[in-house]
Amino acid sequence: MNKQLPLAVIVVLILFALPLVLSNYGMRLTTEIYVMSIFVLSLGFIIGFAGLVSLGHAAFFGLSAYTVALLSKHVSTNTYFLILAAVLVAALMAFITGYLFVKTSGAYFLMITMAFSQVLYAIFHQTRSLGGADGLSVNASLDLGFGAIRGTYPMYYFMLICFLICYFLLHRYIHSPAGKATIGVKENEDRMKALGYKTRNYKLIAYTISGAMAGFAGALYAYFNHFVSPESLAWHKSGEALIMAIIGGASFLYGPPIGAAIFVVLQNYISTYTERWPIIMGVLFIALVLTRRGGVADVLNLLWRKLTGADRKESATETTPTVQSGVSKEGSGE
Amino acid sequence: MDYSILAVQLMTGLAYGMLLFMMATGLTIIFGLLNVINLAHGALFMVGGYVALTFVKEYTNFWIALLLTIVVMAIIGVLIERFLLNRMYGKEFEQVLLTFGLIFVLSDGAKWIWGSSPQAIPVPEALRFAVTIGDISFPAYRLFVVLIGCIFALILWYLEAKTRIGAIIRAGVDDREMLGALGINFKLVFTGVFCFGAGLAGLSGALGAPILGLYVGMDGDILILSLVIVVIGGLGTWKGAFIGAILVGMIDTLGRIWFPQISMAIIFALMVIVLLIKPSGLFGKEVKA
Repeated sequence: MNKQLPLAVIVVLILFALPLVLSNYGMRLTTEIYVMSIFVLSLGFIIGFAGLVSLGHAAFFGLSAYTVALLSKHVSTNTYFLILAAVLVAALMAFITGYLFVKTSGAYFLMITMAFSQVLYAIFHQTRSLGGADGLSVNASLDLGFGAIRGTYPMYYFMLICFLICYFLLHRYIHSPAGKATIGVKENEDRMKALGYKTRNYKLIAYTISGAMAGFAGALYAYFNHFVSPESLAWHKSGEALIMAIIGGASFLYGPPIGAAIFVVLQNYISTYTERWPIIMGVLFIALVLTRRGGVADVLNLLWRKLTGADRKESATETTPTVQSGVSKEGSGE
Repeated sequence: MDYSILAVQLMTGLAYGMLLFMMATGLTIIFGLLNVINLAHGALFMVGGYVALTFVKEYTNFWIALLLTIVVMAIIGVLIERFLLNRMYGKEFEQVLLTFGLIFVLSDGAKWIWGSSPQAIPVPEALRFAVTIGDISFPAYRLFVVLIGCIFALILWYLEAKTRIGAIIRAGVDDREMLGALGINFKLVFTGVFCFGAGLAGLSGALGAPILGLYVGMDGDILILSLVIVVIGGLGTWKGAFIGAILVGMIDTLGRIWFPQISMAIIFALMVIVLLIKPSGLFGKEVKA
């Protein structure tokens, strides 16, 4: 791990220096990438490290965004209060639903999370007082106690720091004993059970953390976008996040942010030329899955190991081949 | 509540349930045999509806259009299985991802070809009347859909219980490896089943278009309901899909009238309750869920 520390420092420095070369548009785009990265990171975390493939993760993202919008309208516009409330709502929702859902696995988990997010979508879509199909605008600005954070530069750095904090926290969790046990549950649940681990609890904890983080991303998104629509809860949003996580490679923590960056840049670039972005994205995605190479992070990791010749010393986490291997047995419970 | 209105709504719910039943059957049999949730199934339904629309405009005869749609969708199903899923044989997660990618291709393709404004297929002329019983009158087309659904259930029962194909599929759902060991070309069976499922999605899409209309985003709506049905009924069993579809069709239709804001929530609550009491679904074989 220490070998990668200098690399990590360089990447962080580059991210901090990026505004020197980026245009205004590029900065806004990168800021959006940070917000999405937090969201995709939370999804990649449960896919790659807990073996839970969700197609309803936008439920937490959207719910928090709505929490910010509604509370800022009716209760208070204090930034700390709003973000904390949003994260708590998402965490609580993740805990309750996780308690019910984590029992299931594979195909069932995928379907039930998808259905759940769609229920929230339907409720927000059809309730007038919650904005209905038109959505809600967010009338709060980011203020941590020393003046409002607005404008391109402050937003950029604020979101970057939020992203780095989330990344660091997840990194610490994965390398903690609880995180290692979670990976163990993903790799071989029966063996972990035999060893006396309460495997369901580890999955539930991972799911709750992930939900809270998705909620954090949703709250930030509300501030970034100043507007929340029911689409932010719908399964299309979850699906996009899933695609980003898979493009990036979910078996590494740095995969999802790479996936988010590629996705958002491609989406913006291609959308200026044609309306057919979904088809292009679908075809690209299918091609990626067909090549069976895993995500970008898997390829990068392979290159890195070839360059440094450190094939053997990698920790158990890093040699997990691809996300797919961990969940390929889904549904085959015979 | 006026009873005649309730009766009409029940019939509407039943008709909707039958459409969902034909959809969910494809989904559940594909899952039972291939272990793949075909996430593109809703998109196949929608494309089926649009293809039928084109044929109706071309030939003006609904019944010819219906048959042609089934053929076209079945061919699309074969292509998907042969060229995409087949390459990922044994890797179910990748296969699910493939079907997920297909959603974007199919639904955006449909938007491209047929535009994004809502459209509808007119009810075929032969069924453009109402059946009156006492002081209640039902649209004949919906009765017809219910009838088709029931006939289809009978055909399925016959296929499953009495024919060699049914026996092969039942055996395949129980133990795939054994099926191969017995000398049955299960790759062919897989292709056949996927083709069957896609054809069914096309049939229900075409039959549903006069009732539901055709609009952008209907693929998602239908897919979610079918998934719920499959979970309630149990993966891999069409009998479960039958009961589940009727339940969901009824609740969705009645819920939209009485509790428009929470009709989805009621369906979902039903699913959670079923899962908590019987994790494998109402008719599912015992799975480690």
